[in-house]
Amino acid sequence: MPEDRTTAAGGTDAGGAPAAVPAVRVEGLWKRFGEQIAVSGIDLTLPAGRFIGLVGPNGAGKTTTLSMVTGLLRPDQGRVEVAGHDVWRDPVGVKSRIGVLPEGLRLFERLSGRELLAYMGRLRGLPGAEVDKRAAQLLDVLDLAGSQHKLVVDYSTGMRKKIGLAAALLHNPEVLFLDEPFEGVDPVSAQTIRGVLERYTASGATVIFSSHVMELVESLCDWVAVMAAGRIRAQGPLAEVRGDAPSLQSAFLELVGASGRNEHESLDWLGGSSGSGSGAGTGAGGAR
Amino acid sequence: MSGRTPGTGPSKTGPSETGPSETAPWGAGSSGAAHDETATGVTGGPGGSPAAATVRERDALGAGALAGVFVQLKLSLLRNGLRQSSTRTAVFVTSLVFALLFAAGQLLGLILLRGNEHAVSVTVLLTGVLALGWAVLPLFFPGGDETLDPTRLVMLPLRPRPLVAALLTASLMGIGPLFALCLLLGSAFALAHGAVALLVSVLAVPLALLVCVALARAVAAANVRLLTSRKGRDLAVLSGLVIAIGAQLVNFGVQRLGESGGLSALEPAAGIIQWLPPAAAIGAIDSASEGAYGTALAQLALTAGALYGLLHPWQRSLTKLMTAPDGSTLAAAQESKARGERSSGQHRLLPDSRTGTVMRRSLRYVQRDPKTKAAWVSALAIGFIVPLFNAFQGSGSIYFTCFASGMLGVQMYNQFGQDTSAFWMVAQTIATTKDAYAELRARALALLLVTLPYTVVVTVIVAAVLDDWQALPSATGVALAVLGAMLGTGAISSARFPYSIPQDSAYKNVAPGQTGLAWMSVLGGMLAAAALCAPVIAATIWLHSTDGHAWLWSVLPFGALYGLLLGWAGLRLAAPMAARRLPEILTAVSKG
Repeated sequence: MPEDRTTAAGGTDAGGAPAAVPAVRVEGLWKRFGEQIAVSGIDLTLPAGRFIGLVGPNGAGKTTTLSMVTGLLRPDQGRVEVAGHDVWRDPVGVKSRIGVLPEGLRLFERLSGRELLAYMGRLRGLPGAEVDKRAAQLLDVLDLAGSQHKLVVDYSTGMRKKIGLAAALLHNPEVLFLDEPFEGVDPVSAQTIRGVLERYTASGATVIFSSHVMELVESLCDWVAVMAAGRIRAQGPLAEVRGDAPSLQSAFLELVGASGRNEHESLDWLGGSSGSGSGAGTGAGGAR
Repeated sequence: MSGRTPGTGPSKTGPSETGPSETAPWGAGSSGAAHDETATGVTGGPGGSPAAATVRERDALGAGALAGVFVQLKLSLLRNGLRQSSTRTAVFVTSLVFALLFAAGQLLGLILLRGNEHAVSVTVLLTGVLALGWAVLPLFFPGGDETLDPTRLVMLPLRPRPLVAALLTASLMGIGPLFALCLLLGSAFALAHGAVALLVSVLAVPLALLVCVALARAVAAANVRLLTSRKGRDLAVLSGLVIAIGAQLVNFGVQRLGESGGLSALEPAAGIIQWLPPAAAIGAIDSASEGAYGTALAQLALTAGALYGLLHPWQRSLTKLMTAPDGSTLAAAQESKARGERSSGQHRLLPDSRTGTVMRRSLRYVQRDPKTKAAWVSALAIGFIVPLFNAFQGSGSIYFTCFASGMLGVQMYNQFGQDTSAFWMVAQTIATTKDAYAELRARALALLLVTLPYTVVVTVIVAAVLDDWQALPSATGVALAVLGAMLGTGAISSARFPYSIPQDSAYKNVAPGQTGLAWMSVLGGMLAAAALCAPVIAATIWLHSTDGHAWLWSVLPFGALYGLLLGWAGLRLAAPMAARRLPEILTAVSKG
């Protein structure tokens, strides 16, 4: 197992971050689904005002962790604080301060994009006129103005992510949690989302997003936490987690213990050189 | 945050990936070797490899080998399904035993019927009912048979004709066909007299069975097509209505039968049905027994024609299903713009608070969400039809109208399940008990907005039909008390016993494994509501039995106030529960 490269868990002296309240503080968080341990006792401190990436392979527990941090899933054990407020003891303090874009959960898809924003904003307790003003601007910036009257059920993946992002930003949260915001999104929409997020963090807000695309995380984030098999393998400023490795990708593969795996012998029949589909019979004849 | 990508049901991905412009996988030029290998790889599931060996062989062998693959696939799926869970095995074995016992009893009964003068009527009608059952069944269990879900075969280079033959053969495996076979064999035995009749039976029984199975497949294929398009799903709403009215008609028919007495009443119906396939095949056996060979031949030909007539559109609908793009997103785009603008003005009157916002969303969902709409339409229809039909039959009472308010009150149950996993958006905005109370109250108010006038209208109409104006106030009072009780218990049950409503099938309303929970919550809630309404009901009965008719009007304010109290108390109790259990509710409603 690779060594734990956690740097300065307090966030106080890491990379000159302010000693203020961290955006997220997690202590001893556990979640078990039947036999399977999804999250096994993680500790995590994410500083405020950063663009933070939570990276890890599929099934590492990223979604479970984010669900527990945002109050959508009850942990078996552990404490979660967001902006200094306990998620489970002080839901009022937390829910007004966070925006969430979960993965794999539906939206109210029989509403149009505009109606969805109007609905969310008013549920958040914002005055109607303000909601409509913000919704119009968000739809505009996110390139959704043209389809604002289409039902969300007819939206493409990219549009769904964008309308979800708009709904999460509507009440101007302090901390934004995005689960795989770029998954299945086309480059144009991805660039739009990126622009909005960069503008948002520049104002001092925190973005925490999960992804398994290292290049993306490397180009966007200034702070990363690496997760694998329900544990935090490393957390800290991007440069520290990357260490001496040429890229975050190779550092990550080393951290999760997946580098140097090679399985080309078993697929020797695969490829164009072995003749076009002469694979009649079993065993797919070893042409080479 | 588990589950599949929002809104994309499994049936949707297949056709849309194929795309409109791409060549059909089974089109004229599907002889590519690469294609063929895909087919082999996919069909050869666990245990299916030998028959699936190579496509070249299959091309030579044609439909026969393909049918073999499908039969094997079906058996493997059945075996693996049973291996997966012991409950499923238990359910399967139980239903097998029951079906066999029932079939055996039926077989015995039909054999005993041999020589009876009503034998023809009974067997022909039974076959008719059997065929009807086969036609209706796939509407309720469309996902029951994975082998036959054509959308899973989209990427395989299969030609339609062998595919239809193979699917038909595969659908002959199972409890249902076995049951049907028993019934048809029994019918043949009851009717066949003489060698020619026996010969006709040999043709008629398999023919009738194939017509039944083909009927089910044709309906299912048409249904899949219908359900993958949004317009179609909206249309499916009507099926609830058809079933409701159908049930009442059957009720009428049974009563008529009871009045006229005896099986002879069946004869005119049997006279018609014996010319309708697949009952015509059974009719042919009888005709042959009586020496009317021409008639027998005509009836057999009719059944064979029906089989062809069923297979042909099935084949066409399969081809279309597997080669054309999914219609769900194409047509909806333009219409929804107009809709968006129209409905934004429609709910202007509602306040801007959480209450108004939630009510607006609820009412929009009644209009737009096929599941919610279907539930509402059938509740509205059944709630209206049952008391009204009973009134027309003269056997009804005006108090049956509390059925109407009860049916709509059921809509309050599993409120959060109706949100599906989108409930996370609600959960994110509920931080206190007060928020939860406002949320639940708004949902109840949205319901009341429709239910209250509806209940009054239904009660007035039934009162007019029965000419029982004196009991109108008290009946309204009881109905309102029932409504309040249903809303109150519904709110509690929504918070305490939420369950998922799967979105991929228009006919499944409970996710696997939560059926017990769903029944418990609705039935328990209805019993509790009935018990809670006891004071109002008791007061009404007391007034009726003690000649206090002059005071019957007082049940109206009493019932209304009492219902209001019950509803309010239910919301008050449910709110802290919902606020406390948000993550648990989300987990429970995200299973589908």
